[in-house]
Amino acid sequence: MTPQMLFSLSGPVALLGWLALALSPLAPRVAQVVAGSVVPLVLAVAYAGLILAFWSGAEGGFGSLADVALLFGNPWLLLAGWLHYLCFDLFVGAWIVRRARAEGVAHGFVLPCLALTFLFGPVGYLAFGALRLIQSQHKG
Amino acid sequence: MSTFPLTHDDSRIWRDAPAYAGLALFLALAMAPTLAAMAVDPRQFQGESIWLKPLKFHIALAIYLGTLAFYARWMPEAARATRFWRWHVRAVVFAVLAEAVWIGGAASVGTASHFNTALPWSAIYPVMGLLATVLTSAALVMGLAIRKADLPAGFRLSLVTGLVLTFVLTLVTAGTMSGFPSHHIGVPMTGAVVPILGWSREVGDLRVAHFFATHALHALPLVGWLMADRTAPVWAAAVLYTALVTGLFAQALAGFPVI
Repeated sequence: MTPQMLFSLSGPVALLGWLALALSPLAPRVAQVVAGSVVPLVLAVAYAGLILAFWSGAEGGFGSLADVALLFGNPWLLLAGWLHYLCFDLFVGAWIVRRARAEGVAHGFVLPCLALTFLFGPVGYLAFGALRLIQSQHKG
Repeated sequence: MSTFPLTHDDSRIWRDAPAYAGLALFLALAMAPTLAAMAVDPRQFQGESIWLKPLKFHIALAIYLGTLAFYARWMPEAARATRFWRWHVRAVVFAVLAEAVWIGGAASVGTASHFNTALPWSAIYPVMGLLATVLTSAALVMGLAIRKADLPAGFRLSLVTGLVLTFVLTLVTAGTMSGFPSHHIGVPMTGAVVPILGWSREVGDLRVAHFFATHALHALPLVGWLMADRTAPVWAAAVLYTALVTGLFAQALAGFPVI
Protein backbone atom coordinates (compact mmCIF):
# COMPACT_ATOMS: atom_id res chain seq x y z
CA MET A 1 0.00 0.00 0.00
CA THR A 2 1.28 3.46 -0.91
CA PRO A 3 0.13 6.93 0.20
CA GLN A 4 -0.91 7.62 -3.40
CA MET A 5 -3.23 4.58 -3.41
CA LEU A 6 -5.00 5.73 -0.26
CA PHE A 7 -5.16 9.27 -1.58
CA SER A 8 -6.88 8.04 -4.75
CA LEU A 9 -9.31 6.08 -2.61
CA SER A 10 -10.11 8.96 -0.26
CA GLY A 11 -11.36 11.31 -2.99
CA PRO A 12 -14.37 9.23 -4.11
CA VAL A 13 -15.23 8.45 -0.48
CA ALA A 14 -15.39 12.16 0.39
CA LEU A 15 -17.26 12.94 -2.84
CA LEU A 16 -19.95 10.48 -1.84
CA GLY A 17 -20.59 12.62 1.25
CA TRP A 18 -20.66 15.87 -0.76
CA LEU A 19 -23.04 14.33 -3.27
CA ALA A 20 -25.37 13.36 -0.43
CA LEU A 21 -25.29 16.97 0.85
CA ALA A 22 -25.93 18.45 -2.61
CA LEU A 23 -28.97 16.18 -2.98
CA SER A 24 -30.00 16.51 0.67
CA PRO A 25 -33.46 18.05 -0.02
CA LEU A 26 -34.42 14.69 -1.54
CA ALA A 27 -33.38 12.68 1.53
CA PRO A 28 -32.32 14.91 4.44
CA ARG A 29 -31.92 12.10 6.97
CA VAL A 30 -29.86 9.89 4.67
CA ALA A 31 -27.68 12.87 3.76
CA GLN A 32 -26.95 13.55 7.44
CA VAL A 33 -26.14 9.93 8.19
CA VAL A 34 -23.81 9.68 5.18
CA ALA A 35 -22.15 13.11 5.26
CA GLY A 36 -22.49 13.90 8.97
CA SER A 37 -21.51 10.51 10.40
CA VAL A 38 -20.49 7.60 8.21
CA VAL A 39 -18.03 9.20 5.79
CA PRO A 40 -16.33 11.48 8.36
CA LEU A 41 -16.01 8.50 10.73
CA VAL A 42 -14.46 6.32 8.03
CA LEU A 43 -12.00 9.12 7.23
CA ALA A 44 -11.32 9.57 10.96
CA VAL A 45 -10.46 5.87 11.38
CA ALA A 46 -8.05 6.07 8.44
CA TYR A 47 -6.53 9.25 9.87
CA ALA A 48 -6.13 7.72 13.32
CA GLY A 49 -4.48 4.65 11.79
CA LEU A 50 -1.98 6.82 9.91
CA ILE A 51 -1.15 8.81 13.04
CA LEU A 52 -0.67 5.63 15.09
CA ALA A 53 1.58 4.18 12.41
CA PHE A 54 3.70 7.17 11.36
CA TRP A 55 3.60 9.92 13.97
CA SER A 56 6.30 8.50 16.25
CA GLY A 57 8.81 8.13 13.42
CA ALA A 58 8.19 11.57 11.93
CA GLU A 59 10.47 14.58 11.96
CA GLY A 60 9.19 18.06 12.66
CA GLY A 61 6.13 19.05 14.68
CA PHE A 62 3.79 21.94 15.39
CA GLY A 63 6.38 24.26 16.93
CA SER A 64 7.27 26.37 13.89
CA LEU A 65 6.26 26.68 10.27
CA ALA A 66 9.53 24.99 9.31
CA ASP A 67 8.64 22.08 11.61
CA VAL A 68 5.20 21.76 10.03
CA ALA A 69 6.82 21.75 6.56
CA LEU A 70 9.18 19.02 7.76
CA LEU A 71 6.23 17.03 9.09
CA PHE A 72 4.41 17.23 5.78
CA GLY A 73 7.57 16.26 3.97
CA ASN A 74 6.62 12.72 5.01
CA PRO A 75 4.10 11.50 2.38
CA TRP A 76 2.18 9.40 4.94
CA LEU A 77 1.64 12.38 7.21
CA LEU A 78 0.88 14.58 4.22
CA LEU A 79 -1.85 12.06 3.39
CA ALA A 80 -3.03 12.20 7.02
CA GLY A 81 -3.21 16.00 6.77
CA TRP A 82 -5.25 15.66 3.57
CA LEU A 83 -7.68 13.23 5.25
CA HIS A 84 -7.98 15.73 8.08
CA TYR A 85 -9.18 18.33 5.55
CA LEU A 86 -11.60 15.92 3.87
CA CYS A 87 -13.03 14.75 7.20
CA PHE A 88 -13.57 18.14 8.83
CA ASP A 89 -14.66 19.97 5.67
CA LEU A 90 -17.40 17.41 5.09
CA PHE A 91 -18.41 17.58 8.74
CA VAL A 92 -18.78 21.36 8.44
CA GLY A 93 -20.72 20.85 5.19
CA ALA A 94 -23.18 18.59 6.99
CA TRP A 95 -23.51 21.18 9.77
CA ILE A 96 -24.23 23.91 7.21
CA VAL A 97 -27.03 21.79 5.70
CA ARG A 98 -28.50 21.12 9.17
CA ARG A 99 -28.41 24.80 10.17
CA ALA A 100 -29.83 25.89 6.81
CA ARG A 101 -32.77 23.48 7.16
CA ALA A 102 -33.45 24.58 10.74
CA GLU A 103 -33.34 28.26 9.78
CA GLY A 104 -35.26 27.88 6.51
CA VAL A 105 -32.43 28.93 4.18
CA ALA A 106 -33.22 27.93 0.59
CA HIS A 107 -31.07 25.12 -0.76
CA GLY A 108 -30.16 27.23 -3.80
CA PHE A 109 -28.25 29.56 -1.45
CA VAL A 110 -26.70 26.66 0.42
CA LEU A 111 -25.22 24.98 -2.67
CA PRO A 112 -22.58 27.68 -3.37
CA CYS A 113 -21.58 27.58 0.32
CA LEU A 114 -21.16 23.82 0.06
CA ALA A 115 -19.09 24.17 -3.12
CA LEU A 116 -16.82 26.68 -1.41
CA THR A 117 -16.50 24.51 1.70
CA PHE A 118 -15.63 21.54 -0.50
CA LEU A 119 -12.89 23.47 -2.31
CA PHE A 120 -11.65 25.98 0.24
CA GLY A 121 -13.09 24.89 3.61
CA PRO A 122 -13.16 28.07 5.70
CA VAL A 123 -14.25 30.23 2.73
CA GLY A 124 -17.49 28.23 2.53
CA TYR A 125 -17.97 28.58 6.27
CA LEU A 126 -17.45 32.33 5.92
CA ALA A 127 -19.95 32.51 3.04
CA PHE A 128 -22.56 30.65 5.06
CA GLY A 129 -21.95 33.00 8.01
CA ALA A 130 -22.59 35.97 5.70
CA LEU A 131 -25.70 34.26 4.34
CA ARG A 132 -27.11 33.74 7.84
CA LEU A 133 -26.43 37.35 8.76
CA ILE A 134 -28.22 38.64 5.66
CA GLN A 135 -31.13 36.24 6.22
CA SER A 136 -31.53 37.41 9.83
CA GLN A 137 -31.63 41.08 8.65
CA HIS A 138 -34.37 40.23 6.15
CA LYS A 139 -36.44 38.50 8.79
CA GLY A 140 -35.92 41.21 11.40
CA MET B 1 -29.01 -31.88 34.76
CA SER B 2 -30.70 -28.57 35.37
CA THR B 3 -29.24 -25.56 33.63
CA PHE B 4 -29.60 -22.19 35.22
CA PRO B 5 -31.85 -19.97 33.09
CA LEU B 6 -30.03 -16.97 31.66
CA THR B 7 -31.97 -13.77 31.19
CA HIS B 8 -31.99 -12.54 27.62
CA ASP B 9 -32.03 -8.88 28.55
CA ASP B 10 -28.73 -7.75 27.02
CA SER B 11 -29.23 -4.14 28.05
CA ARG B 12 -28.75 -5.26 31.66
CA ILE B 13 -24.98 -4.97 31.34
CA TRP B 14 -25.38 -1.20 30.95
CA ARG B 15 -27.31 -0.95 34.20
CA ASP B 16 -25.37 -3.51 36.23
CA ALA B 17 -21.85 -2.50 35.25
CA PRO B 18 -21.96 0.61 33.04
CA ALA B 19 -18.24 1.32 33.37
CA TYR B 20 -17.12 -2.20 32.42
CA ALA B 21 -19.65 -2.42 29.58
CA GLY B 22 -18.64 0.99 28.26
CA LEU B 23 -14.94 0.23 28.49
CA ALA B 24 -15.42 -3.13 26.74
CA LEU B 25 -17.19 -1.36 23.87
CA PHE B 26 -14.54 1.35 23.77
CA LEU B 27 -11.73 -1.22 23.52
CA ALA B 28 -13.60 -3.00 20.76
CA LEU B 29 -14.12 0.26 18.84
CA ALA B 30 -10.48 1.23 19.28
CA MET B 31 -9.61 -1.86 17.25
CA ALA B 32 -10.73 0.03 14.10
CA PRO B 33 -7.85 2.56 14.04
CA THR B 34 -5.47 -0.17 15.25
CA LEU B 35 -6.44 -2.32 12.26
CA ALA B 36 -6.04 0.73 10.00
CA ALA B 37 -2.54 1.27 11.41
CA MET B 38 -1.77 -2.42 10.88
CA ALA B 39 -2.82 -2.11 7.23
CA VAL B 40 -0.49 0.80 6.44
CA ASP B 41 2.44 0.16 8.82
CA PRO B 42 5.10 -2.20 7.44
CA ARG B 43 7.06 -2.30 10.71
CA GLN B 44 7.51 -5.68 12.33
CA PHE B 45 8.47 -6.78 15.81
CA GLN B 46 9.80 -10.31 16.33
CA GLY B 47 8.45 -11.34 12.93
CA GLU B 48 4.91 -10.04 13.18
CA SER B 49 3.19 -6.69 12.71
CA ILE B 50 3.85 -4.38 15.63
CA TRP B 51 0.09 -3.79 15.86
CA LEU B 52 -0.80 -7.45 16.43
CA LYS B 53 -0.07 -7.29 20.15
CA PRO B 54 -2.24 -4.21 20.86
CA LEU B 55 -4.97 -5.90 18.84
CA LYS B 56 -4.73 -9.09 20.93
CA PHE B 57 -4.87 -7.07 24.17
CA HIS B 58 -7.90 -5.13 22.96
CA ILE B 59 -9.73 -8.36 22.14
CA ALA B 60 -8.72 -10.02 25.42
CA LEU B 61 -9.57 -7.03 27.61
CA ALA B 62 -12.88 -6.45 25.82
CA ILE B 63 -13.86 -10.09 26.43
CA TYR B 64 -12.73 -9.89 30.06
CA LEU B 65 -14.64 -6.67 30.80
CA GLY B 66 -17.66 -7.78 28.79
CA THR B 67 -17.78 -10.97 30.83
CA LEU B 68 -17.53 -9.07 34.11
CA ALA B 69 -20.29 -6.69 32.96
CA PHE B 70 -22.44 -9.73 32.19
CA TYR B 71 -21.70 -11.45 35.53
CA ALA B 72 -22.40 -8.24 37.49
CA ARG B 73 -26.14 -9.11 37.46
CA TRP B 74 -25.40 -11.97 39.86
CA MET B 75 -23.79 -9.74 42.47
CA PRO B 76 -26.08 -8.79 45.35
CA GLU B 77 -27.50 -5.30 44.74
CA ALA B 78 -25.98 -4.13 47.99
CA ALA B 79 -22.46 -5.05 46.88
CA ARG B 80 -22.72 -2.80 43.84
CA ALA B 81 -23.98 0.07 45.97
CA THR B 82 -20.93 0.27 48.21
CA ARG B 83 -18.36 3.01 48.08
CA PHE B 84 -15.61 0.38 47.86
CA TRP B 85 -17.13 -1.09 44.69
CA ARG B 86 -17.41 2.31 43.00
CA TRP B 87 -13.79 3.23 43.74
CA HIS B 88 -12.55 -0.21 42.82
CA VAL B 89 -14.31 0.04 39.43
CA ARG B 90 -12.63 3.41 38.84
CA ALA B 91 -9.23 1.93 39.68
CA VAL B 92 -9.83 -1.00 37.33
CA VAL B 93 -10.93 1.28 34.49
CA PHE B 94 -7.84 3.44 35.00
CA ALA B 95 -5.58 0.36 35.05
CA VAL B 96 -7.10 -1.01 31.83
CA LEU B 97 -6.77 2.33 30.01
CA ALA B 98 -3.19 2.78 31.21
CA GLU B 99 -2.35 -0.74 30.06
CA ALA B 100 -3.89 -0.12 26.61
CA VAL B 101 -2.06 3.19 26.19
CA TRP B 102 1.22 1.62 27.31
CA ILE B 103 0.97 -1.32 24.91
CA GLY B 104 -0.28 0.85 22.03
CA GLY B 105 2.39 3.46 22.74
CA ALA B 106 5.17 0.88 22.70
CA ALA B 107 3.81 -0.49 19.42
CA SER B 108 3.66 2.96 17.83
CA VAL B 109 7.37 3.54 18.49
CA GLY B 110 8.13 -0.02 17.41
CA THR B 111 9.49 -1.36 20.69
CA ALA B 112 8.56 -4.03 23.25
CA SER B 113 6.05 -3.20 25.95
CA HIS B 114 6.76 -6.27 28.08
CA PHE B 115 10.29 -7.52 28.84
CA ASN B 116 11.80 -4.23 27.69
CA THR B 117 15.13 -3.60 29.46
CA ALA B 118 15.77 -0.17 27.91
CA LEU B 119 14.80 3.11 29.55
CA PRO B 120 12.22 4.54 29.92
CA TRP B 121 10.22 1.35 29.33
CA SER B 122 12.10 -0.68 31.94
CA ALA B 123 11.23 1.96 34.55
CA ILE B 124 7.50 1.76 33.70
CA TYR B 125 7.37 -2.05 33.62
CA PRO B 126 6.93 -2.58 37.41
CA VAL B 127 4.19 0.07 37.48
CA MET B 128 2.39 -1.76 34.71
CA GLY B 129 2.72 -4.97 36.73
CA LEU B 130 0.95 -3.26 39.60
CA LEU B 131 -1.78 -1.97 37.28
CA ALA B 132 -2.15 -5.44 35.75
CA THR B 133 -2.76 -6.76 39.27
CA VAL B 134 -5.40 -4.08 39.82
CA LEU B 135 -7.23 -4.97 36.62
CA THR B 136 -7.12 -8.68 37.45
CA SER B 137 -8.48 -7.95 40.92
CA ALA B 138 -11.76 -6.99 39.24
CA ALA B 139 -12.47 -10.72 38.96
CA LEU B 140 -11.53 -11.34 42.61
CA VAL B 141 -13.74 -8.58 43.98
CA MET B 142 -16.71 -9.69 41.91
CA GLY B 143 -16.16 -13.34 42.83
CA LEU B 144 -16.09 -12.60 46.55
CA ALA B 145 -19.24 -10.47 46.28
CA ILE B 146 -21.14 -13.29 44.55
CA ARG B 147 -20.46 -15.63 47.52
CA LYS B 148 -23.50 -14.11 49.24
CA ALA B 149 -25.73 -14.03 46.17
CA ASP B 150 -29.15 -15.70 46.13
CA LEU B 151 -28.41 -18.28 43.42
CA PRO B 152 -28.47 -22.09 43.07
CA ALA B 153 -25.52 -23.41 45.10
CA GLY B 154 -23.65 -25.06 42.22
CA PHE B 155 -24.00 -22.13 39.85
CA ARG B 156 -22.98 -19.66 42.56
CA LEU B 157 -19.94 -21.73 43.50
CA SER B 158 -18.87 -21.96 39.85
CA LEU B 159 -18.98 -18.16 39.49
CA VAL B 160 -17.06 -17.66 42.73
CA THR B 161 -14.38 -20.27 41.97
CA GLY B 162 -14.08 -19.18 38.33
CA LEU B 163 -13.60 -15.52 39.20
CA VAL B 164 -11.32 -16.12 42.19
CA LEU B 165 -9.22 -18.65 40.27
CA THR B 166 -8.87 -16.21 37.37
CA PHE B 167 -7.29 -13.78 39.81
CA VAL B 168 -5.10 -16.27 41.68
CA LEU B 169 -3.91 -18.32 38.71
CA THR B 170 -3.32 -15.26 36.51
CA LEU B 171 -1.35 -13.59 39.28
CA VAL B 172 0.89 -16.66 39.68
CA THR B 173 1.40 -17.40 35.97
CA ALA B 174 1.65 -13.86 34.63
CA GLY B 175 3.56 -12.69 37.70
CA THR B 176 6.15 -15.44 37.27
CA MET B 177 6.33 -14.78 33.55
CA SER B 178 7.13 -11.11 34.15
CA GLY B 179 10.18 -12.19 36.17
CA PHE B 180 11.67 -14.01 33.18
CA PRO B 181 13.44 -12.18 30.34
CA SER B 182 10.88 -13.48 27.79
CA HIS B 183 7.62 -15.43 27.58
CA HIS B 184 9.65 -18.16 25.85
CA ILE B 185 11.60 -20.74 27.82
CA GLY B 186 14.22 -21.62 25.25
CA VAL B 187 15.14 -20.01 21.95
CA PRO B 188 12.77 -20.64 19.00
CA MET B 189 14.67 -21.47 15.79
CA THR B 190 12.03 -21.90 13.07
CA GLY B 191 9.32 -19.64 14.54
CA ALA B 192 6.60 -22.31 14.31
CA VAL B 193 3.55 -21.22 16.29
CA VAL B 194 -0.01 -22.26 17.05
CA PRO B 195 -2.31 -20.41 14.59
CA ILE B 196 -4.03 -17.23 15.85
CA LEU B 197 -2.87 -17.70 19.45
CA GLY B 198 0.80 -17.45 18.46
CA TRP B 199 2.17 -19.87 21.08
CA SER B 200 5.53 -21.41 20.23
CA ARG B 201 5.48 -25.01 18.99
CA GLU B 202 9.21 -25.42 19.60
CA VAL B 203 9.94 -24.16 23.11
CA GLY B 204 8.10 -23.53 26.37
CA ASP B 205 5.64 -20.64 26.13
CA LEU B 206 4.43 -19.23 29.45
CA ARG B 207 1.52 -17.46 27.77
CA VAL B 208 -0.34 -20.78 27.44
CA ALA B 209 -0.82 -21.08 31.20
CA HIS B 210 -1.65 -17.37 31.44
CA PHE B 211 -4.38 -17.86 28.81
CA PHE B 212 -6.02 -20.78 30.60
CA ALA B 213 -5.58 -19.14 34.01
CA THR B 214 -7.39 -16.02 32.86
CA HIS B 215 -10.19 -18.00 31.21
CA ALA B 216 -11.13 -19.80 34.44
CA LEU B 217 -13.97 -17.27 34.69
CA HIS B 218 -15.44 -18.78 31.51
CA ALA B 219 -14.67 -22.46 32.00
CA LEU B 220 -15.94 -23.02 35.56
CA PRO B 221 -19.25 -21.12 35.31
CA LEU B 222 -20.00 -23.29 32.26
CA VAL B 223 -19.88 -26.34 34.55
CA GLY B 224 -22.01 -24.64 37.20
CA TRP B 225 -24.50 -23.51 34.59
CA LEU B 226 -24.95 -27.07 33.32
CA MET B 227 -25.29 -28.51 36.86
CA ALA B 228 -26.69 -25.58 38.76
CA ASP B 229 -27.82 -27.32 41.95
CA ARG B 230 -24.81 -29.49 42.70
CA THR B 231 -21.58 -28.27 44.19
CA ALA B 232 -19.51 -31.47 43.97
CA PRO B 233 -19.00 -31.31 40.15
CA VAL B 234 -17.95 -27.66 40.47
CA TRP B 235 -15.39 -28.45 43.16
CA ALA B 236 -14.06 -31.29 41.00
CA ALA B 237 -13.88 -28.99 37.95
CA ALA B 238 -12.08 -26.31 39.96
CA VAL B 239 -9.46 -28.82 41.14
CA LEU B 240 -9.04 -30.25 37.64
CA TYR B 241 -8.78 -26.81 36.07
CA THR B 242 -6.15 -25.72 38.58
CA ALA B 243 -4.25 -28.91 37.82
CA LEU B 244 -4.51 -28.21 34.08
CA VAL B 245 -3.11 -24.69 34.46
CA THR B 246 -0.37 -25.96 36.79
CA GLY B 247 0.51 -28.70 34.31
CA LEU B 248 0.65 -26.31 31.35
CA PHE B 249 2.75 -23.94 33.42
CA ALA B 250 5.18 -26.69 34.47
CA GLN B 251 5.37 -27.91 30.87
CA ALA B 252 6.36 -24.46 29.63
CA LEU B 253 8.80 -23.88 32.49
CA ALA B 254 10.47 -27.18 31.57
CA GLY B 255 10.90 -25.80 28.04
CA PHE B 256 8.34 -27.99 26.28
CA PRO B 257 5.86 -26.55 23.76
CA VAL B 258 2.15 -27.04 24.42
CA ILE B 259 1.67 -29.20 21.30
